[in-house]
Amino acid sequence: MSRFTYARAHSVEEAVALLSDPNEKSVPLAGGTDLLVNIRKAPPTFTRVVDVRRVPEMRIIEVREAQLVIGAAVSYTELAESALVQRYATCLAQAARTVGGPAIANMGTLGGNIASAAPWADALPPLICLDAHAHLRSVEGARSLPVAELVLAPNQTRLRANELITHFTLPLPAPDVQSVFLKVGHRIAQTLSRANLAAAIGRDATGRIATARLVVGTIVPVAQRFEEVESLLIGQHPSPQLFVEAAARAAEGLVRRVGRHWATEYDTRVLKALVVRALRATTAPSPTPEGV
Amino acid sequence: MEISLVLNGKPITVEAPAHITLLELLREYLELTGTKEGCDIGECGACAVIMDGMLVNSCLVLAPQAHGSTITTIEGLCNADGSLSDLQENFITYGAVQCGICIPGMIVAAEALLAKHPTPTREEIRQALIGNLCRCTGYQQIVDAIEATAYARRHLAESVARA
Amino acid sequence: MHTHSLRYVGKPARRVDAADKVSGRGKYIADYTLPGMLHARCLRSTVPHGRIVRLDVTPALQVPGVRAVITSADFCDHGNYGFPVKDKYMLAYQKVRYVGEAIAAVAADTPEAALAGVRAIICEIEPLPAIFDPRQALDPNAPQVGPDRTDGKHPNLLAEHQYVKKGDAEAALANCDVIVEAHFEVGHQEHAYIEPEGVLAVPTPEGGIVVYAPNQSPFINQGNLAMVLGLPTNRVRVIQPYVGGSFGGKDDIVYESSAQCAKLALITGRPVRMLFSREESMVASYKRNTLSMDVRIGATRDGQLRACVFRGLMDSGAYASETPFTVWRASIHAMGCYRYDACDVDIYGVYTNNGYTGAFRGFGNPEVCFAIEQAIDEMAEKLGMDPIDFRLKNCLRLGDETVHGQKLSESVGLVECLTLARQLSDWDRKRAEYARQTSTEVRRGIGVAAMYHGMSLGAEGADYAAATITILPDNTVEITSGLTDYGTGSRTVFTLIAAEELGIEPSRVRMLRPDTNTALESGPTVASRSTVLGGNAMRIAARNLRQTLDLAAAHLLNCDPRQLIRHNGSYIGPSEEEVPWEKVVEHAREMGLILSAHGRWEAPKIHWDHHAGRGTPYMAYHFGVQIAEVEVDLLTGLTRVLKIWAVHDVGKVIFPEGAYGQLYGGIAQGLGYALTEQVTYANGYLQQTNFDTYLIPTAMDVPEIEARLIEASYSEGPYGAKNIAEPAMVPTAPAIANAIAHATGRRIRRLPMNLERVLLGEALQRPTTPEVTTRALFMGRA
Repeated sequence: MSRFTYARAHSVEEAVALLSDPNEKSVPLAGGTDLLVNIRKAPPTFTRVVDVRRVPEMRIIEVREAQLVIGAAVSYTELAESALVQRYATCLAQAARTVGGPAIANMGTLGGNIASAAPWADALPPLICLDAHAHLRSVEGARSLPVAELVLAPNQTRLRANELITHFTLPLPAPDVQSVFLKVGHRIAQTLSRANLAAAIGRDATGRIATARLVVGTIVPVAQRFEEVESLLIGQHPSPQLFVEAAARAAEGLVRRVGRHWATEYDTRVLKALVVRALRATTAPSPTPEGV
Repeated sequence: MEISLVLNGKPITVEAPAHITLLELLREYLELTGTKEGCDIGECGACAVIMDGMLVNSCLVLAPQAHGSTITTIEGLCNADGSLSDLQENFITYGAVQCGICIPGMIVAAEALLAKHPTPTREEIRQALIGNLCRCTGYQQIVDAIEATAYARRHLAESVARA
Repeated sequence: MHTHSLRYVGKPARRVDAADKVSGRGKYIADYTLPGMLHARCLRSTVPHGRIVRLDVTPALQVPGVRAVITSADFCDHGNYGFPVKDKYMLAYQKVRYVGEAIAAVAADTPEAALAGVRAIICEIEPLPAIFDPRQALDPNAPQVGPDRTDGKHPNLLAEHQYVKKGDAEAALANCDVIVEAHFEVGHQEHAYIEPEGVLAVPTPEGGIVVYAPNQSPFINQGNLAMVLGLPTNRVRVIQPYVGGSFGGKDDIVYESSAQCAKLALITGRPVRMLFSREESMVASYKRNTLSMDVRIGATRDGQLRACVFRGLMDSGAYASETPFTVWRASIHAMGCYRYDACDVDIYGVYTNNGYTGAFRGFGNPEVCFAIEQAIDEMAEKLGMDPIDFRLKNCLRLGDETVHGQKLSESVGLVECLTLARQLSDWDRKRAEYARQTSTEVRRGIGVAAMYHGMSLGAEGADYAAATITILPDNTVEITSGLTDYGTGSRTVFTLIAAEELGIEPSRVRMLRPDTNTALESGPTVASRSTVLGGNAMRIAARNLRQTLDLAAAHLLNCDPRQLIRHNGSYIGPSEEEVPWEKVVEHAREMGLILSAHGRWEAPKIHWDHHAGRGTPYMAYHFGVQIAEVEVDLLTGLTRVLKIWAVHDVGKVIFPEGAYGQLYGGIAQGLGYALTEQVTYANGYLQQTNFDTYLIPTAMDVPEIEARLIEASYSEGPYGAKNIAEPAMVPTAPAIANAIAHATGRRIRRLPMNLERVLLGEALQRPTTPEVTTRALFMGRA
């Protein structure tokens, strides 16, 4: 039977205490856009939900010590509309705009997207791309780890049963860095990603590519960097020729990672398209950062 | 558990299980059947309500999450005397209503949009409605109705401001 | 006879039930609750083909809250029903033939208890070999899915082949200079009405039943219920609440739910309501059929179409439903709206263990139009002719004889549709400009499709409708129709017609809810027949009533009825004395006249020779043209439809907002059919069970549509009207396909034209699981 109880946390301390209560099997509830869908598919294994959506520390978006700090309960709408996120985590703001209609974006949260770890999670490639860390808390204490290491497999993370993601941090990118998020879906709007990608490119004074991050999602089991493409780009002047080479290397990298299967022919081609377009977008003459 | 909220302008308290959705709370415990169930997974928007000023899919909100919130449903968007609002009238005038099952969600979504963006373009209206599926109308007249309402409200606000 | 300009018909009007809908006050089936109401749920098959070897419902009766459980044994003749083929059962009898087929039904105090009751039923099914590929269904050793036949034909053959034959098509093709030969396949389509199915049955004190059901055709439901429950029809009442969309989909499945709830209500003595979750709706309910088509058309170098040979195979799935009629309509329209010297069409359907198929808007025409309109485009290309020019040269015109042998003596607006659509869309400039594109990444294209659509039932059956009209004591007017409005707007159409004929404001006319107690049986509400059949019946009823009022007015004004003039509802006599309508009504009462009337209209007789494949299949035809402009991303396969122009000949527009609304909505459904709506049966297991994986167009997927309605008046239609409902979605997919071909140079001959088909030229076989489907059957409140 799908019975469970509800508790609302007003602070991180209260939240982790509730999650550790040995008398209940508790899970965090943020926006609910994943949890409420999942309990239709299979009876819940938990006995209580702990609502963390309104915990103040988990709602922040601020710059602190050269880091952008984003609370795990920040909604996609807030991400998309935040001047700080638009400026310092452009690809994340873009991803937040593509997750779905306003009703989903208003409730769905960054932490929820990462904790659910769906293969098509749209916030994951941007966070990895921006070298973000996830900050976790439990009654045992706090720890942090790179988001790139947080997700192990589809729908599986390193989160312990009583652990809560409280916030994410990412270093403020250098002024010359541009990032972008691209997604292909079966429908024009409100659609799961068929393929998604986040890229961040930084240039030096001569215009050469000095820093590169390229993170592919959905068509790999877990969103991940394609370092071999990144290293191809470093030190090079952007050019259509370079982009094509990078795309080809990305396609090879995809096959190396997942082998050849039913979707390979489409996935490799669309990956090439996304890589070329992402590189074009991140090496275009730099516009004034959004929102500033 | 006891769930207290401000519903369509009135504070209420209702006893309900913790594990039900806000949609179920509205339709079955509060007998407000204007909000509809179409898919139960937040894709169709027929269950849309306004919670704390934000459009949400009530099928994806756990009822206790609404404790302490302000909720507006389609029933709360009619005028106080029960007459139809300007937006509702325009939905009729512009032919935006066919079978009607999506319409409460559409009107709620439209009001949420206009509260945030009073002068949307047709493209912005469409973008704001992507979470409200309609199988009958092809959306065209719905966009017409919302655009006309926005224009009339702005026109009215401007004449009031000038007066 | 006075000719006067129309006051209400064809003028801007308010949909009569819109206020209920925009306020949230309108009640759909899920909004009905009654004291003591029980909740019903079905046990549904999780295998595609099997013999029920053990069905023990007693454990379910032990579940707390469960009040009754029924099986096929609880119905007369095992609940056997179905028309035109009586092959189905209200609950499975001896065998199950598709995943999702209902086997037993439980009524309980709560939905949770009902589901627990369903889970407790012991149902052992011995799996039988199953057939999923329609091409193998008629193999000698194919597993039998269809009912036994007495004519020696394969039991998996659905009813009969349907033919259209003119001359010797093979010989004519041999004499052609240019031939186009192609194979096309269209998949299933899910209706995806935003309201899932539901039924409420209430037992009556006299041992009868009242069923509230969102079906299209309450009288068919009533007839079925009487038959399977063993009740006289006068103790079975069916009422249609507001319906949240149907598109052909809420008939058979709702009749079954009606019978299940009715029987449970009769057994328990309590109201019983069944509501489907979206998942249950998608798995259990019928879909649009598939169609696999081989088209050969031939033309001479002068640009004249000469011959068409068309072969088609339809998957009817586990049961016949309406598909035998779909086969027929598809055959009539397969060759498209053109003249040919010779034609040979042969379409048939087969039974498989995929989900069963039935009525869906367009009913065979969207399927064949997808094929023929692309073949026509390919022919134009081979001949070096512009696609619209080629269509103008060969399309049906006033006075032409169709391939079937029918002379079109009136109401043929096709040329005007082609010409206007061409002009509105800036066709010629764009065809030339897009042909010169050089981009290898994103390209635009513009494509056209033309269509015709036979009106009403044609050879499918008796075609008539009836209406009533009554003046109530408070002088408002109450009307009924045997045809129902499930979002189509027919209620408003009938109201406007009644108002027009009586000469009073539409707001004074109120239509009763569709109700077998008060309406007159009028055949099914299908085939876009409501405006003509129901509209004519209403017009006759209103005229009959008006005659009574005219007599009373003439008596009151001491003149001949022909001398009366109407002004704003009032009557004016030769003395110019103006008498308000209410006064005339009062006077009629005083005279002892009865202020009500009936109207019945029967369609002109059509003739169809099934064996010869010739005749006059329909009384008249709707004609339409749609042009789509697309932008195709050559690197991802994503197609954006930038705009659609639609010009349709509807005879006469009665309710403009409604007519345009139907057109826009049909286009949206055609767009989804074309690009995003994928139905996959994997060994009989439906893979798309909700709107996260079954993608219907959003407001960003459907572009701005520019539409015009042409009025090539049809003399038998009310005020010249024909129809719009189904034709609206027929040409959309081929127009988009032709636009994609223009943009990319690649022709896609299968639906949907999704990312992979556009990018790679073929779909990919993604992994599938039965669990997606079987889980869906147990989803919901638990």
